[in-house]
Amino acid sequence: MRQRKILLKGRGAYPGVAEGIAVVCPDSIAGNSGSLGDTDGIIYETHNSNRGVCIKDKILVLPGAKGSSGFSAHFKSAALAGFAIAGWVVTKMDTRIGGAIVSLCVPAITDFEGVDPLQVLKTGDLVRIDGTKGTIEVLKSVLKD
Amino acid sequence: MLHLTDYEKKMLSGEFGEFRQAAMRVICDYARVLGADKLCTVRRATLFIGAHHYLDCMDMQQDYTSIFSKFYLNKDEPIPFERMAPECASQTCAAACDLYDYKSTNLSKDFFDRNNNFLNATSRVGVSIVNSCTPYYVGWVPLMGEHFVTNESSNTLMSNSVFGAYGNADGVETAVCSAITGRTPYWGLHVRENRYGNALFKIETQPKTQFDWDLLGYTVGRFLPPHGKPILSADFEQPDINMLRQCFSSLATTSAAEICHITGITPEARDEIDALEGKKPEFEYVIAEKDIQESLAMLCDEGSGPVDLVSIGCPHLSLEELRDIAWMLEGEKVAKGTDLWIWTDYATQVMAERSGYVAMIEGSNAKVLNSSCPLVMREESHKRYSIMVMNGAKQAHNIRGQTDAKVYFGDVKACIKAALRGRWEA
Repeated sequence: MRQRKILLKGRGAYPGVAEGIAVVCPDSIAGNSGSLGDTDGIIYETHNSNRGVCIKDKILVLPGAKGSSGFSAHFKSAALAGFAIAGWVVTKMDTRIGGAIVSLCVPAITDFEGVDPLQVLKTGDLVRIDGTKGTIEVLKSVLKD
Repeated sequence: MLHLTDYEKKMLSGEFGEFRQAAMRVICDYARVLGADKLCTVRRATLFIGAHHYLDCMDMQQDYTSIFSKFYLNKDEPIPFERMAPECASQTCAAACDLYDYKSTNLSKDFFDRNNNFLNATSRVGVSIVNSCTPYYVGWVPLMGEHFVTNESSNTLMSNSVFGAYGNADGVETAVCSAITGRTPYWGLHVRENRYGNALFKIETQPKTQFDWDLLGYTVGRFLPPHGKPILSADFEQPDINMLRQCFSSLATTSAAEICHITGITPEARDEIDALEGKKPEFEYVIAEKDIQESLAMLCDEGSGPVDLVSIGCPHLSLEELRDIAWMLEGEKVAKGTDLWIWTDYATQVMAERSGYVAMIEGSNAKVLNSSCPLVMREESHKRYSIMVMNGAKQAHNIRGQTDAKVYFGDVKACIKAALRGRWEA
């Protein structure tokens, strides 16, 4: 991995600074029972490109939420079981994910204009997000020169 | 900047008690996360609470007050229950267990007791025990323009699209806090100008049955872009509410749609122009028969073979559907080694009992069950089965995340036929 910095700017939705490995989910993660392990934080959703990945300490990069309105409860459950994510990067806000953000109380950035973090960030990037300023830094990219 | 009324400020300052204060803090944080600048009054709520499996992370030795405070109110210390907001009619969504029968669905007495204890605790403060994912069958109908919260995604679509009521797909925790405070952020579909459609789907196939509408919803959801608000456009034959229920439950399975306009059918879509506010759609797609067949192939495993579980009633069935099933099963017997579960809410179940339908159904050795479904009961209820038949695209899609069993998907008649034969025929 080479050192590089990319600065993305969105709206800070929940304050605080977090660092972690990005997990980019272009099709989000379904909120239905069983799609995310309530007690192990593992993505079990069929056909999800990150199936088998544990969300603990990760920065989740999502277009928004999808599926059941139980979305937030499964992330909350995993967090209380010791598998909390470090932060959220969300292309555009919706209420399913808004509910999850307020319930988990970890930094979140959303409502990007003119740029989609799903297109810029890669799974495996080490990123720092500032939910107060609404900024994202890539500390280490998985992309080769 | 969030602006609160004097009443809301008093609630936030604790003047109406610690319970409502804690919930109001969550609602205000929620408003800031969304970017809302005020709150609106919520008149109806359905809540996905009880001993649901998202609470499996909690220490069940502690009392429910502690669990409730931690999970829904973000409070480490227990806050005693107080009454829910009087202006809001609050009730429970689908539950994790039938209200009376745990044995037929392979669940434990401990779990059954816990679920009822949790439901009793919240009913004492005003969350009525209804345990339905189709609450409109038993009187929960928000009016046009009325603000609601619900944790049932198909009900979000039904209430917005068909009743013209105003609501978003709220999370469990925030919906609970809305029911306690009677408030939710004035944001998203609570705001009139945000309700127009932006994704136009021309429907080439004419849906005629519940099964057709189920597949149509699933298919539209597959192609709907994130944050899309679909408009289904065609010269539709008049659907009934049960058909739209199937369409909305499957649409909410493959997408995050919260409103769905159907031209000539739903009140905010007399025609395409009405639904689009005269604007051009941001996205257009033509749904053809091949798209529908693709969906069917995704939902129903290939081949024929023996089956050991058949489940009908996702979402929960109406009284007239129980009558139709009773007529299909009268004088018949479910095959030995196959279980047939029929799901509804318990109020409808009581009406079906009094009408004689339950006796006709259970005379075949099928079970009429209430409040839940295999998906919500989770693995413990269905892990003993290896080949399932599911009615309802939502159930057939999502159950695969919980099991390695083969899953067939069909309409009610095909499901009944499979249960009577003990075998699915492709």
